[in-house]
Amino acid sequence: MPAISTTPTLRGVHLTRTYGDGAKRRAALQDVSISLYPGQIALLMGPSGSGKSTLLAVLSGLLEPDSGQVLADDGGEMHDVWAMTPKQREAYRLRTTGFIFQGFNLFPALTARQQLEIVLNWGGYAAGGEGRRQADEMLDRLGMLPNRSKKPSQLSGGEKQRVAIGRALVKNPSFVFADEPTSALDWENGQKVMELLRDGAHDRGASILVVSHDHRLLPYVDVYYHLEDGHLEERPLTPPGH
Amino acid sequence: MSYALQTLWHERQRYVSGVFAVTFSAMLIALQCGLLLGLFKITSIPIDHATPALRDRIIWVGSTGAPSVDLGKPIPAAFLTRLAGRPGIAPPEMYIANFANFTKPVGGTELCFLLGTRLDDEALAPADVLTPELRAALSEPFTIVVDQSDVGRLKLDSSEGKPKINGKEVRVVGVVAGLKSLAAPWVFCSTHTARQLMGPMLPPDHTTYFLARADSPERARQVVTELRDAYPDDMAAYVAEDFSYRSREYWLTRTKAGVAIGYAALLGLIVGAVITYQTLKSATEASAKEFAILLALGIPRWRISVMVLQQSFWVAVIGMGCAYPLCLGLRELARLGGADVDLRWEVLAGTAAVTTFMCAGAGLWALRGVRQIEPMSLLR
Ligand SMILES: Nc1ncnc2c1ncn2[C@@H]1O[C@H](COP(=O)(O)OP(=O)(O)OP(=O)(O)O)[C@@H](O)[C@H]1O
Ligand SMILES: [Mg+2]
Repeated sequence: MPAISTTPTLRGVHLTRTYGDGAKRRAALQDVSISLYPGQIALLMGPSGSGKSTLLAVLSGLLEPDSGQVLADDGGEMHDVWAMTPKQREAYRLRTTGFIFQGFNLFPALTARQQLEIVLNWGGYAAGGEGRRQADEMLDRLGMLPNRSKKPSQLSGGEKQRVAIGRALVKNPSFVFADEPTSALDWENGQKVMELLRDGAHDRGASILVVSHDHRLLPYVDVYYHLEDGHLEERPLTPPGH
Repeated sequence: MSYALQTLWHERQRYVSGVFAVTFSAMLIALQCGLLLGLFKITSIPIDHATPALRDRIIWVGSTGAPSVDLGKPIPAAFLTRLAGRPGIAPPEMYIANFANFTKPVGGTELCFLLGTRLDDEALAPADVLTPELRAALSEPFTIVVDQSDVGRLKLDSSEGKPKINGKEVRVVGVVAGLKSLAAPWVFCSTHTARQLMGPMLPPDHTTYFLARADSPERARQVVTELRDAYPDDMAAYVAEDFSYRSREYWLTRTKAGVAIGYAALLGLIVGAVITYQTLKSATEASAKEFAILLALGIPRWRISVMVLQQSFWVAVIGMGCAYPLCLGLRELARLGGADVDLRWEVLAGTAAVTTFMCAGAGLWALRGVRQIEPMSLLR
């Protein structure tokens, strides 16, 4: 395991989030605190309905917590994500955050390369030949360069997820959030995806948070969190008994 | 190729209904306007066929307030002096244009419109379709020429009986083609014959119009302005092309045909807009998850809105691209049926503008769907 910086780049502090009102009121997160470090890939597990996706959404700036703070390193300074205006938060996400989801959500009409280019073009990162070059470079790292002109219908599930990873990483984000990135794939492709994510963290210094049900992912991560009934605890990576 | 156009092509079966709707609306508007313009061209036939090559320099002088060429009232022949002697103007000629009563050879009457002109080679007024032979024949008193399309209506194909105009027997010496009539068949004759037939209805030493040829279009406009300034009360003057336009416009407004067309066009536009909106909306919904990813990644929402509007623009362009050839084809078909569809560039450009506007409206309306896209919907 590579040396990990001692200063976190993303901190969730005393996060609480409830859904519904009155009798239906239900706490998905209860006083959760978590720190993510650069170059580190973290796994978040827990039973269904334990609040994993909720935590991911709150940390990534998609869902506002009821209380608590999300402090993120943006240009060397820690900023409270939920104290920003929506416009500021959008710009912050554009600068810093990548997402991968269980469904690949690729545009059916666009080629693999264009799926990456659209982020670079519309995000104002790179246009024209430069955008194409950066997209190809990313696809090359993912072993997808030969498939760059294929549309999603011509790609396998694993290949599609690799394109989706490319789309998340192409703008070189500080944070990457992945919700069940392997659960639509067979184990072989799931492994490949985890390797790519791990390389993304270790080579690029990104903080990656992976949400999953699958214990087989443990060997690919640097830290492991368990969430149950809205409470979070860090667990050792080697299961007891080893 | 833009992402919008690429998506359109990839999901063409989804967009085809929108494109079809645009084609339908555009055709409805263009053909209706074209038919109407073609129809109302008839009202200015006496002007348009009087030496068409000089339509920008023939000056028409008639009674005040004549809103259309068929509604001119007699003016004194003495007005000739007001025109004559002006530099750059050839000596004027008289043109008698009046409604008359046509008695069919087999009995029964029809309203007809008498067009009595000079017939010599230099004359400006006679219809260009009158051949030298017909002109020669018309120089006989009480002879007339009618259009082919009115022969049946005036029962001139029957062998017995003689046609009459205002009770006086006339002889048909020939027919011309291409000068259809609306309410009253055109009847071409000499000024002399016209005067005889009109009898007391056209006071002696009166005419309906004077026509004079100016040396240049500029001179024609100058003289028209001079005449209007000098004689505002009892005489009106126009350049031929303006009088032609005025005649058509008068009947277009007078009959409220424009209003009827307007309603039909509006209906077509509404249908087109709703279907285009539905197409764009369902396409946006189908791509909602992909768009949601982009929003999560921090791509501004307006980028997605622009893409939807681009799609609406392309739907408009492709729809009209299909509509124009179809319109031209249908125009030929209508021509075979004897109807003139006037698809002048103003009609085509106006249709394009209105249809693009409609698609932009549908696109803006479909943007409500873009506002509903939520990145949170991706989490499970
Ligand atoms: N929009 C919502 N409205 C109401 N309740 C919600 C909503 N989203 C989540 N919940 C509830 O909050 C709890 C936590 O949901 P969350 O999606 O975070 O769980 P999870 O750990 O991701 O589950 P899974 O492993 O099944 O994806 C669940 O009990 C869920 O029913
Ligand atoms: Mg979940």
